Amino acid sequence: MIWSRRRFLGASATMAGAGIVDFPGKHTSSITFQTHSQTDLAATPPIELIALNRMAYGPRPGDVARVRQMGFTAYVDEQLNPNDADDALCASKLTSARLRIQYDAGMGYPAVDEMRLLRTIIENWGLAQLWPLTKHPAYQERIRPVEEVRAATLIRAVYSKWQLREVLVEFWHNHFNVDAYSDTRISATWPLYDRDVIRRHCLGNFRNMVRDVAKSIAMGFYLDNAFSRDGPANENYARELFELHTLGQENYLNHLYNRWRDVPGALEGNPIGYIDQDVYEAARAFTGWTIAHGQTISGSLRLPDTGEFAYVDLWHDNAQKRVLAFEIDPNQPPLSDGETVIRLVSEHPGTARHICRKLCRRLLADDPPDSLVNRLARIWLENKDASNQIAITVRALLLSDEFASTFGRKVKRPFEVVVSFLRATNAEVTPNRDLFWQLQEMGYRMFNWGPPTGHPEESAAWLSTNGMLRRWNIINYLQSSWLKAATFDLPGQTPPGLTARQIVEFWVGRLLAVPPPTSTMNRLIDLMRQNGSADAPPTGSADEIADRIRSVVTLIAMTPEFQLR
Amino acid sequence: MTVSRRTFIVGCSAAIAAMTGSAVRGLAFAQPGDTTRRDILVVVFLRGGCDGLSLVAPVNDPFYKGARGELRVEESGQNAGLLLSNTIPGADFRLHPRATLLQSLYINRSLAIVHACGLRNGTRSHFEAMDYMEGGIPESGVPANGWLARYLNSINASGYLPAVAAGTRVPFSMVGFNDAAALTDPTSFNLSWNSWRYRSQLNQALDAFYSGDSPVQQAGRTTLTAIARINERLPRDSQGRVIPYTPETGVRYPGGRGASLGNALRTVASLIKMDIGLLAATVDYGGWDTHEGQRWIFPELVAGLAEGLYAFYNDLWRYHDRLTVVVMSEFGRRLKANRSGGTDHGHGNVMLVLGEGIRGGKMYGVWPGLATEQLDNGVDLAITTDYRAVLAEILIKRGALQTVDQVFPGFRGSLLGLAYSPGETIERPHRVNLPLVTR
Repeated sequence: MIWSRRRFLGASATMAGAGIVDFPGKHTSSITFQTHSQTDLAATPPIELIALNRMAYGPRPGDVARVRQMGFTAYVDEQLNPNDADDALCASKLTSARLRIQYDAGMGYPAVDEMRLLRTIIENWGLAQLWPLTKHPAYQERIRPVEEVRAATLIRAVYSKWQLREVLVEFWHNHFNVDAYSDTRISATWPLYDRDVIRRHCLGNFRNMVRDVAKSIAMGFYLDNAFSRDGPANENYARELFELHTLGQENYLNHLYNRWRDVPGALEGNPIGYIDQDVYEAARAFTGWTIAHGQTISGSLRLPDTGEFAYVDLWHDNAQKRVLAFEIDPNQPPLSDGETVIRLVSEHPGTARHICRKLCRRLLADDPPDSLVNRLARIWLENKDASNQIAITVRALLLSDEFASTFGRKVKRPFEVVVSFLRATNAEVTPNRDLFWQLQEMGYRMFNWGPPTGHPEESAAWLSTNGMLRRWNIINYLQSSWLKAATFDLPGQTPPGLTARQIVEFWVGRLLAVPPPTSTMNRLIDLMRQNGSADAPPTGSADEIADRIRSVVTLIAMTPEFQLR
Repeated sequence: MTVSRRTFIVGCSAAIAAMTGSAVRGLAFAQPGDTTRRDILVVVFLRGGCDGLSLVAPVNDPFYKGARGELRVEESGQNAGLLLSNTIPGADFRLHPRATLLQSLYINRSLAIVHACGLRNGTRSHFEAMDYMEGGIPESGVPANGWLARYLNSINASGYLPAVAAGTRVPFSMVGFNDAAALTDPTSFNLSWNSWRYRSQLNQALDAFYSGDSPVQQAGRTTLTAIARINERLPRDSQGRVIPYTPETGVRYPGGRGASLGNALRTVASLIKMDIGLLAATVDYGGWDTHEGQRWIFPELVAGLAEGLYAFYNDLWRYHDRLTVVVMSEFGRRLKANRSGGTDHGHGNVMLVLGEGIRGGKMYGVWPGLATEQLDNGVDLAITTDYRAVLAEILIKRGALQTVDQVFPGFRGSLLGLAYSPGETIERPHRVNLPLVTR
C-alpha cells in the first residue's frame, strides 16, 4: 500500500471495504467484547466508547457506564457547559501537585531545588504577578509559568470531568500555536494565554477569540506584531492570520491571481479567497498594535514596562487599505483598521469551512466528508455573533451521523497515547519534566512547537519509525522505576479470582474500544496463563503473576488497536 | 604539495591519515552484485525561508544596499562578506562573514553555489512552498508522495536501511517510500521492556500484532525491521554493549543555534559508517523565519550551518567519493527589510551543493538583478533556475536515476553542469588555504 499522508482515511476505508458513513454496528448497546477472527480496525464500537475516545482522552474506569446511563446527547450537552465548581477530583489534584524546580546560584540569586506547588495556576496569577517574572535573573523562574501550565494541562487531561473542554483547548492551542519557549516574555506570562484567551474562548465566539489572540502577549511576540510599525510593516502575523488562523491555505490563491480585483467575487465585495496583496494590506492595518515592554516611542517617550496590550498611533500606517476587497478609509480611530480586518477574516465563508474541516479532522477523521463540513460551516456562519458559536458548531458535529458511525480513523498523538493509558489504568499522575521530554522525543512538543502550524493533524505524520518505537516504549517507561511521572497498581485493580482469560478480557475492556482479533487475544492469554489453563486462575508466585498482569496491560497498550481512536 | 580532492580539511592525526588504506566498500551498493554507482544523498532543509541575500550576498549592488540598510552584508569593514572566486556576473557575491568554513569548502572546490533558484509557483506561504518543493511538482497541486520517495522507488532502493530522516518524523520529500525510517539516535533505537522474565514472549507477540496490512500495522512492521537492522549493525564491545558514536578526531559538531543540525548530521554520519546501505538522508534545520531581530539570529544560524556541514564533511572524509549534500530552503526573503529589524517572505534563493562529485568552487545560475522591474512582483529576487534542475542533475549524475521524468514529471529545464558524471575525471583543486591532510 502506498502511503500518502493525505490518504490515511481513504486507505483504511478501502481496507475495511466500506465508505465513511456506512459502517455496521452503529449504536450497538452492548460493550461485551467479541473476538474477531480478522483484524477489523474499522469496527464501530458503541457510542459511549466513540465519545470517550474522541471528545475525551479515553475512558477512566466507570466512565462508559456513566455515559451510557445518562445518554449520549445529555453527555454532549453536559460537556458543552463545563462548570469548574463541579470538578473536585481535578481541583484536588491541581492543588496538591508539585513540580520540581531546580537551578544553581547565579549573579544575585541563590540556588533553588524544591518541589513547588503550581502557584500560578491554583492562585490564578494575573499580569501584575507574572510580568515581573520576565525580569527574573534565573531562566528556570522565567519559564516556570509555562512549565506549570504544562503540568496542569496533563493533570486536567487525566482527571478533569470536562474532557471535551480539554480536547478543544488542545485543538485551539494548536490552531493558534505559539512556541512559549521562544521568548521568556511569553513563557513567563503563559498562564494568561492559556486561561484568558484559549480556555476562555474555546467554546465561545470565534471572532472574539481571534481578537484576543491578536492582542495577546504570546502572539504579539511570537509572530512579531509587537515590533511592527509603519514602513514597511512586519508581515509575519498578518500572513499567518490568513493562512493558519482564519481562511487557511485552501483559500490562498496567490498562484492564480496577482491583483485583488482578479480574485473571483472581489468586484462584488466577496472574494472567494486571498492573495499576497491582502496580506500586505492587513499587515499595515496591524501596525502599532504592540505590547508595552518599556520600548521607546520617540525621544524620551516610552511605553510602560507592564506587558499590557498597547496601540501606538505614531507607528500606525494611517492611509487607506483594501482587504478582501473591502475599502478601509484613511485615518480611522485607534485599533479600527485591525479590528476591521479581524471581522473580515473571521466571518469569511472560507474561514468557516477551514475551521469546521479542521474540527472534523480533530474529532472525526483526517478526511471528513465535504457534506458534513459544509453543513457545519453554515451553522458556524449563522451563529457568527453568538457568544457560544463554537459550542453550537461542535454540538452539531458530535451529534452528526458521521460522528456516531466512524471509528479508528485517527491515530492517537503521543499526548493522547500517554493520557489515555493513564486514564484507563487509573494511574496516579505526578507530572515531571522528564515526561515532557519523552513526549518531545515522540514528536509532541507541548507549547514548544516551533512553526506556527501547531502539531500535525494527519495520522500518517505520527507513524514514523521513531514515532512507533517511542509509542511502544513510553508505555514501558511510564511504569518504569526511573520516569516517575505516574504510579500504577495494575495487579491491585485486577478483580480477585479471575481466570487467565478473564484477566485479559478485563484489561482489554479497560483499554480498547474495539475488540482485538482472536490471534491477539490468544497471545495475551498465553502470556497470562503460561503453563496453566486459560480457564483457571493463573499459577505461579505472586511476583510472577503481577509481572504477567503488568506485561499483559503493557502489551494491550502496544497493540495497533490502542493507537487508534 | 599536491593535494587531492579527497581531503580532510581540519588537521587530523597521522594515525587517521594512515588508515586510508582500509577503504570502506559496499556501502553505496544496495545488494551484492549490484554495481550501480550511486552517491549517498543528504538533503539539508533550512526551514522557515533562509535569507539567501545574506548568505550569498550581492554586496556592491546599489539596490541591495539601499533596501537592506543595516541588515546587509558589506563590502568592507567589520561586517564584510567573505570573498568568493568564480562567481556569476552581475554583482560582487560574498559569503556571510560567519560562513568562513563554507568559504573553506568552496575554496577546496567541494562546495558549489547556485543563486536565484527556487520554486516557479508564486506562493509566499512556508507550508505551501515546502509541500510543493518537497513534492517536487511546483506548478500546482501537491502530489501524493515526495521527490526523494519517487527517486528511491524508481531505483528500487532495497538496501538494508536505504532512507533515513534524522528526526522524529519523515519529511514530505520522503513520504511514499515505505522503508523510510525516522530516528534521532541509532544507539538507543530499541525496544525497552520492563519485564525481563517475559521479554521474548513479548517480542514475539508484538511482532505478531504488526504482521497485518493496516497503515498502523505497516508502520509497526517497518519499525520492527529498522530496529532489527540497526541493532544488528551497531558497533558493540566484547560484552555486547553498544559503543557510543565518536566522530573522527578533530571533528566538532556545532552547539548553540546549530546544535539541532549538528546532532542530526552526526546521526547520519554514524549510520553511514555502520555500512547500513544508506542511499538518502534528510536533515531539518529550522529557525530561518527572520521577520524580526535578523541581525542577532541570522549570523548564529549561518555559523551553525557552516560548522555543521564542515564537521559532517570532515567526519565522512573516507566517504567523499560517494557523498553529495544539498542545502535548500522553501524560499528566500524580501529584498527590502521591514521596520522591525527583519525581512518578510520572499521568492528566489540560494542552494548549496557539497561533494567530491561536484564541480565546486564555482557559482552557478543567472543573476536577474535587483532593480524593481527585475524583481518578482516588484519586491523579491526573481527565479532564473528551477530548483529541480539542481536536484535532477544530482540524481542523474550522482544518484542512479535513469530519466528525470521518474522523479520530476514534466520538468524540461536544462542542467547546470555542476556535477561530475560517473567516470569523468575530477579536476584537482590548485589552491587551498587551510592545513590539509591528504587522504
